[in-house]
Amino acid sequence: MSYLSISNVTKQFGDAVVVDNFNLDIEKGEFVSFLGPSGCGKTTTLRMVAGFEIPTSGRILLDGADITDKAPNQRNVGMIFQSYALFPNMTVAQNIGFGLRVRKEPEAMIKQRVDEMVGLINLEKHANKYPYQLSGGQQQRVSLARALANRPQVLLLDEPLSALDAKIRVSLRAEIRAIQKSLGITAIFVTHDQEEALSISDRIVVMNVGEMEQVGTPFEIYNFPKTRFVANFVGSLNTADAEVVDPAKGLVSMDGVQLEAAEGTDGRKKGDKVKIAIRPERLSFASEQKKANVVDCIIENITFLGAVVRIQVKIGNTKFNMDTFNNPFLELPKIGAKEQVTCSKEAVLVLDD
Amino acid sequence: MASEKIRKVVEMSGISFGVRVGKQGNRKSWSLSRLGTRFWSWFWFILGALYFLLPLYATANFSLRMERDVIGFKAYIRAFEDPEFLKTFLYSNVLALLTIVASIILIVPTAYWIRLRLPEARRIVEFITLLPFVVPAIILVFGLIRIYSSPIKIPFTDTTLFQPLTTFEVGTDILIVAGYMVLGLPYMYRSVDTGMRTVDVRTLTEAAQSLGASWFTIIVRVILPNIRAALLSGALLTFAIVVGEVTLASFLGVPAFGPYLFLLGQHRAYEPAALSFASFLLTWVAMGLIQLFTGGQGQAAGAH
Ligand SMILES: Nc1ncnc2c1ncn2[C@@H]1O[C@H](COP(=O)(O)OP(=O)(O)OP(=O)(O)O)[C@@H](O)[C@H]1O
Ligand SMILES: [Mg+2]
Repeated sequence: MSYLSISNVTKQFGDAVVVDNFNLDIEKGEFVSFLGPSGCGKTTTLRMVAGFEIPTSGRILLDGADITDKAPNQRNVGMIFQSYALFPNMTVAQNIGFGLRVRKEPEAMIKQRVDEMVGLINLEKHANKYPYQLSGGQQQRVSLARALANRPQVLLLDEPLSALDAKIRVSLRAEIRAIQKSLGITAIFVTHDQEEALSISDRIVVMNVGEMEQVGTPFEIYNFPKTRFVANFVGSLNTADAEVVDPAKGLVSMDGVQLEAAEGTDGRKKGDKVKIAIRPERLSFASEQKKANVVDCIIENITFLGAVVRIQVKIGNTKFNMDTFNNPFLELPKIGAKEQVTCSKEAVLVLDD
Repeated sequence: MASEKIRKVVEMSGISFGVRVGKQGNRKSWSLSRLGTRFWSWFWFILGALYFLLPLYATANFSLRMERDVIGFKAYIRAFEDPEFLKTFLYSNVLALLTIVASIILIVPTAYWIRLRLPEARRIVEFITLLPFVVPAIILVFGLIRIYSSPIKIPFTDTTLFQPLTTFEVGTDILIVAGYMVLGLPYMYRSVDTGMRTVDVRTLTEAAQSLGASWFTIIVRVILPNIRAALLSGALLTFAIVVGEVTLASFLGVPAFGPYLFLLGQHRAYEPAALSFASFLLTWVAMGLIQLFTGGQGQAAGAH
């Protein structure tokens, strides 16, 4: 029996089905991200767990208890908002202590917990400041502490980092993850930033217009996307039209250029139209010893991205991006030069057209 | 808040002013037409200011000249000495206080609920709150008298619930407070609604709910403190209306300050002027105090 169980949950607003038959089991202490484009129903799903929306059908169980129809203030669920939502009339300490005061906990206990939380987010010096005196990153940390002070059973975070600038975003997400791990708290994190989801989660749920596309670890989601949507949405990807040549051997042909795929051709017939996808970092210049999947190409463009150099090559009639690590001692090819590139069988993903 | 309002009024009337801290590169933009606009802006502003200030000055000046050839406070002393003055003034203050409290209890949850759950009802409610500007007080008071001068019965029975409200004192007080709530509605509702716009009421509510707070706790501990400035300005405007109101008070026959001042004006010359000017000063002192107490708060709520 999992800790948080969302089963067959559907949500409609009028005629619009916003979440369609959502099923997910989350273990205690797990960090799960909902990843998907804007409007795919991430927030709505999260709000159903928080109790701000009631599912049209389906059940939500938390630690064995059915919470589907419970009011938000009857659940023990912490919520973090993109806009911080700190109470402007209260200091940092009062904000953090709010939930405990509402529950009429003894003052001594509140004080102790507030001190503990303020320490957890490293804002000891700011405990008596008002929210408007803090930076965005500090405010969001206070909001985290406020949610955690209640010792919630689940922590829900709805794009908590979107309003912050890039540097803070990266450091705060690491901080959130570290605190979540140290407290062993179960968390759901909503984001449309794939890098964020990949870097911070135990598992990722990729969503697309109300439906779950794939659930898996960041490793699985990135390396073995099950659908074209997932492959496209997570990480950057080269895709091209192709045709199955030999399903048994995994051979596909792209404008006459033959490639061998490790899997994905089973159950298909010769002549089937498919899409193939290759991640930019899986392509490399062919060296002598490589034999499989060596193809001719022309260098089209070279972009310097810092740690990575992105080289655009033309294979047949299709342009592919190839990412290589920046190495100051290696000479880059010239634009227009003829080269050979290669990739392993496993790197060639065969997806439905 | 007050200065904000003044600024808004000024903006709406098409007048703008303010010192230009132009950079040197901006020299060229100081063209003739621009100077012309600036001149006319100032012209209208000063004209408007005179329109307000002249009568005020005249009243103040007049109120100080009760004794021939002497500038003195005799009119003020006379006016304040009258026992009727204190009685009616206190009575009106109590009415104002009751009106304010009742308005807040009615309007804050209403405006809150509309922002939270019924945004589509906004336009209807805004229209209703504007009605007191369209329907004169005289019509309101006749309606009140007409309906409440007969006994109140439980519908479809002959059981009498109340004697006619107009026949006993508490009943009349209830009527007049209700009437004043209607007159103050546009100001109170708008202040409260604007106050709620400056804080993100919906998200704050959800944050409080997820922390376990009940509706009552949310309104009292989260919403009210964050719209304090708006409440104060709404309360002040309501206060000003109630204390000076004549129509409702005289037709309902209550011993209020408005009718007293009106009567005084028919028999005396200097005392009413003194009282008008004094109440005007009182209003401005109150406004100043609000500005003083809520200035920081208003900034706190607005800053990010
Ligand atoms: N209260 C509501 N009434 C009607 N439609 C709604 C309501 N709330 C959300 N929707 C619709 O549901 C869909 C999903 O919304 P949701 O907020 O869950 O998306 P999201 O995945 O969180 O998107 P984003 O990344 O932009 O936050 C949207 O098309 C939205 O218009
Ligand atoms: Mg969202």
